[in-house]
Amino acid sequence: MNTLSRIPAVFAFEWRRALTIPRMGWMLALAALPPLLLFLIRTAARSEPPPDVAAVLVYVLSPCVACMMSVFLWSTPAVSSELEGRSWTYLSVRPHGTLAVLLGKYLVGVSWALPVGLLSAIIGSLVITQNDLPRLIATQCALATLSCVAYGAVFLLIGVIAPARAMVLGVIYAIVFEVAAAFIPAAVNLLTIQHRLRCLLVRWMGMDMSIAEESPVLLSYFGDESASWHVFLLLVMTAGYLIVAALLLRYREFTAAAETAT
Amino acid sequence: MLIELNHVTRLYGIVIGVNDITLDLPEGAHGLLGPNGAGKTTLLSLITGQLRPTIGDVRVLGQSPRANPELFRRIGYLPGTEGMYADVSALEWVTYLTRIQGYSASEATRLAKQALERVRLTEHMHRKISAFSRGMRQRTRLAQAIAHEPDFLILDEPFSGLDPIARHTMTTLLQDWIERKRSLLISSHVLHEIESLTRSFLLISGGRLLASGSTDEIGSLLSNMPSEVRLKVQSPRQLAAELLQGGLAETISIEGERDLRLTTASAGRLSEFLGQAISEGRYLITEMRSTEDSLQDVFNSLMKLHRGLA
Repeated sequence: MNTLSRIPAVFAFEWRRALTIPRMGWMLALAALPPLLLFLIRTAARSEPPPDVAAVLVYVLSPCVACMMSVFLWSTPAVSSELEGRSWTYLSVRPHGTLAVLLGKYLVGVSWALPVGLLSAIIGSLVITQNDLPRLIATQCALATLSCVAYGAVFLLIGVIAPARAMVLGVIYAIVFEVAAAFIPAAVNLLTIQHRLRCLLVRWMGMDMSIAEESPVLLSYFGDESASWHVFLLLVMTAGYLIVAALLLRYREFTAAAETAT
Repeated sequence: MLIELNHVTRLYGIVIGVNDITLDLPEGAHGLLGPNGAGKTTLLSLITGQLRPTIGDVRVLGQSPRANPELFRRIGYLPGTEGMYADVSALEWVTYLTRIQGYSASEATRLAKQALERVRLTEHMHRKISAFSRGMRQRTRLAQAIAHEPDFLILDEPFSGLDPIARHTMTTLLQDWIERKRSLLISSHVLHEIESLTRSFLLISGGRLLASGSTDEIGSLLSNMPSEVRLKVQSPRQLAAELLQGGLAETISIEGERDLRLTTASAGRLSEFLGQAISEGRYLITEMRSTEDSLQDVFNSLMKLHRGLA
């Protein structure tokens, strides 16, 4: 049996362990947050926002914030929780054990974050507007899915790079790269997941970008590539992060005693 | 060969975990002995491939242990730290680890149940691990190590924290394992715990291998070291004088009317002398005992030798 055949075992085991009332409560709260905020925004505005504004609001709160936070909480401590719990040793002396756990936990993280993203995207869309709802919901659900898949891989990699400081580094990465750098109109924003998701939002919602075509600076915010190219790049980035995480796992030493890698 | 270590050194920054150990260990049961902080766990981490040697080469069952799935199928490991998931049952945990070992769900469940039965936990296997006593947790940990029927079982301080009954149970389980002609490497800092399991030992301290072999082989290393002998003799003062004159004793003390206690660096010559003296009827010796019969004494002597105190 190879690594792939062991992943379902990890997935099923970790899912069973995760099914606790507190954890489900947290996930429901996270899913409810974007619709609640959107409801408050709409109530304060006393009118339905323009379609593009509504799409951006749902996008920021659901695929960006809710999905990113969900996978952050699941994927980042994938390795550190095993090291701190001293259970890593049992996995590291089994054939492909640590890799199976890494990928299995990644899938668990995505599968827990996905309902949060989808729920918040659907309810959030329904709350904010009645305009072109099928397109808005389909776009936000697709973006939420891609967000969970891609951010899950990034946070997993961060957890492998620095297990002892994974959560802190995860927050720093989210703020520095996915919030700040993603809005810098330079080559660095092309490396962020945020940039690709934003470009997809513009394409899939058919937003009017005629003003951007006249300005290279604005163009770098939204890109001029096709939606399929952005999806392809997101999947390549995800695969890349997972491969690097797997390679680090293969070649670095993780000892439960030190709770760090060397 | 079970384990081959070739000038293995492991450094943690500037701290030496294991220092230039060279060793060939045949298949069978072996004890790894040393005080706390001697480097036992580091050595076991090198043997199980969790750590890479800074210098040297490690081979287990003829293979490099580092990230070696083929080898991991053949070894079972019980780490020194607990590291169990408290929120699952013993059966779930052992089944999970057996599945990661590479077995299908049904096969893993069967093997897990079999292993839990072997460690006498069948009636408790559906209980959460958090409700287990220390001894039950230790037996559960042993079950995960033996569930996949490894050729080579590696145990890091398996008796640690166990009460006498749990120790006895663990000893019986390991004796069963040895009787099945499987290899075993068991570490401990308490000698008597593993004296009942094997007569082949590795003694390490300060990251260095002090000695390896059977109790007798290790004892022969100490032949030039002063060893303590107690005699019951009818005229101890006369014998003491003769021994000192003949250079057969380093120190002598007379305790009571018949007890003589001495240390000698020439145990061979001493026993030859006493044998002759008895046969000639010069002394009536009713009892002679070396106090260095136990492995603990051998270990203490080796430590002295290593530290240059002998």
